[in-house]
Amino acid sequence: MSKEWEKVLWKKQAQPDNYVVPGSFLRSLRRNANFRPYTYWPLVLLSCTITQHLATIFIFVSVFVRLKQQSLHPPTLIWVSIACFSTGYLFWELLDTTGANGEHRRASRIKTVKSSILIFLALMSLSPVLKTLTAATSSDSIWALSAVLFGVSALLADYSAISRGSPEVHERLTSVLSINAAISASVVLASRLADDLAVFALVLFSVQAFALFPRLRRRLGLCHPAIRLAVTIALFSLSVVTTWSLSLTVTRIYSAVQLGVTFVAPAFLVWAQNFKNEIRGPWDVAVPKVNL
Amino acid sequence: MNPISIAMITDFFHPAVGGVENHVYMLSANLIRRGHKVIVITHSHPPDRVGIRWLVPSLKVYYIPFVPIASSATLPDFFTFLPYLRTILIREHIHLIHAHASLSALGHEGILHSHLLGVRSVFTDHSLFGFDDAASILTNKLMIGTLKHVDAVICVSHTGRENTALRGGLYDITESDPPDFRVHENVYVIPNALIPERFKPSPPKSSETITIVFLSRLVYRKGIDLLVAAAPRICHKFPNVRFIIGGAGPKLIDILQMREKHLLQDRIKLLGPVRHTDVCSVLTQGSIYMSTALTESFGIAILEAACAGLYVVSTRVGGVPEILPKDMISFANPDEDDVCRAIGEAIRIVSEGKHDPILAHERIKTFYDWEQVAERTEAVYDAALKAPAIDLWERMQRTMSLGVFAGPIYTIMLIVDCLFFLFLEWWMPREDMHFVRAHWNQDTFVEVGRRLLGDVRR
Repeated sequence: MSKEWEKVLWKKQAQPDNYVVPGSFLRSLRRNANFRPYTYWPLVLLSCTITQHLATIFIFVSVFVRLKQQSLHPPTLIWVSIACFSTGYLFWELLDTTGANGEHRRASRIKTVKSSILIFLALMSLSPVLKTLTAATSSDSIWALSAVLFGVSALLADYSAISRGSPEVHERLTSVLSINAAISASVVLASRLADDLAVFALVLFSVQAFALFPRLRRRLGLCHPAIRLAVTIALFSLSVVTTWSLSLTVTRIYSAVQLGVTFVAPAFLVWAQNFKNEIRGPWDVAVPKVNL
Repeated sequence: MNPISIAMITDFFHPAVGGVENHVYMLSANLIRRGHKVIVITHSHPPDRVGIRWLVPSLKVYYIPFVPIASSATLPDFFTFLPYLRTILIREHIHLIHAHASLSALGHEGILHSHLLGVRSVFTDHSLFGFDDAASILTNKLMIGTLKHVDAVICVSHTGRENTALRGGLYDITESDPPDFRVHENVYVIPNALIPERFKPSPPKSSETITIVFLSRLVYRKGIDLLVAAAPRICHKFPNVRFIIGGAGPKLIDILQMREKHLLQDRIKLLGPVRHTDVCSVLTQGSIYMSTALTESFGIAILEAACAGLYVVSTRVGGVPEILPKDMISFANPDEDDVCRAIGEAIRIVSEGKHDPILAHERIKTFYDWEQVAERTEAVYDAALKAPAIDLWERMQRTMSLGVFAGPIYTIMLIVDCLFFLFLEWWMPREDMHFVRAHWNQDTFVEVGRRLLGDVRR
């Protein structure tokens, strides 16, 4: 029986069972080991993608209201959609970081053209069905449903940027759910419209805004911050302008939310980091390292 | 110390099987042999484990009609256990309750209620928990509330003590820089033990082939990913090595795929689930035991393997580095390359005949013993009984220190618990109760127990 206490269990020790070598307790404890503090302005820049998504939703809703009031001519919206698609696709090509060769690019372009024509035709043939889809449901339920669905879409959307040089990453389940929620919201809204062409125009616009734009947005995340800021400001101003003429109250609330998301929430996060207390020790579940 | 009456309270007890179950049973049996009276209170396992049962040697088990919600743990509802507990503790003349396992709601409730009857409480924590996932945060919050009332805490390893002290707020912190942690005096370390007679090594085999045994539940926490990555490399490097893998679980499919992909069907034998009684016969087929667990508070399986004469290779996690001397075990970091290196080292030691199974068995016999565990636990009971009682006002103050939200909630629960207890005192007065009296001589009983254990050993 040795006099010296050791941190082992198999040896019979002279000391009682509640003995601790003074000063040795919890020496292996590490606090905030993997902690990298956030700073304010980079966070503001990162939150721009959320601002963009909210702005898209409000632009879409104001477009819907105009179609419903018949103050917006459906063919105009279709042409706007097509213009958006062309510019968006141009940007998409410019920002291509996968570094594929010419042959591969041409093949993918042909595929894009083919599928966009397919979607165009499919939507056109489906719009009479979509128009009467929720005829039996009252409008109040539709407004509530679409509000909830847009909320889900904003909550689950993937706001991260793709990393540079890596091939196109798989969509996460939540981001797919987000797209689904937004498209469902637009479909139920579209079913309130009066004529087939308006339905078609709105659903086409929703595909641009909620399925294609988020993908472009992830690529935009790699651009120079100035470009991202410009896009954000442009989208935000557009959404404010389109909402302004419809309702002042909504515009005020919306602007307050946007300011909160972009400027106040990052400040709150930076402040909350003061309370960060991450504890690591030998009891943690180890992470197995496996060579792939 | 003088014989006392002890109630073990836990959700995890026979007929369920596991480390805690076995610990509670062995500890109770050895405390009975030392002359104490022990009862166990657990939840029932309908249809056939209900009411009161007796287990060898004279261990009375109360199966309370509570429904387990997940993995044999009951719902923590803080009050419903009180009527049962009060009646049992009064009828059985209990001096001290001993709650086991931090996920056992029954045990925590026992600690919350026992002070109302002036009964002392001891708590044994058997597992390690992190601090960063929702389940841990919630269970830690539940535990810290009850540990404000406990008289003594026992942990099964030194790493476990650091973990429990942090989770249960059982330390003081000094103002110096870096801050110095002082664990409370009433937190003890008493390891598990095993019955060495059940894990006897088999006579030495030919050293032509070396068999590596892997025996555990096949789940992520047991590091099956490491096994799947390392096994083909080891088989490739050492043509005389074969594996025996026992256990079942969701990761079985990964092992099957690995075996198929590397065409190792004749080198890797899968046994499926192994019963506890068959563990020894499986262990003695091999000469090296491999454990790749990612977290482990004590690692009784490693000890059993070492006792059966196997050389052990394990990941350096949790309390494992404390349980065996360095010459009986090789450690690896939890990464593929290092596991392969450690296995290579073990194969060299075993094939050169440097590890003597019989000697290892004899050594383990001197390390771990239930009798000693019972003796050391008795010392804790003694200290708990002698510790000054915590009065209600101090309990409330301690509970309020839990936090802005948790503090008032737990304090309200404490007060409601007291009122509920007063109501029960009026509704079911003690005078009307039928008390349990032992009509037998304790000394004769102890003698019978000793003879029975002797039979088991023979």
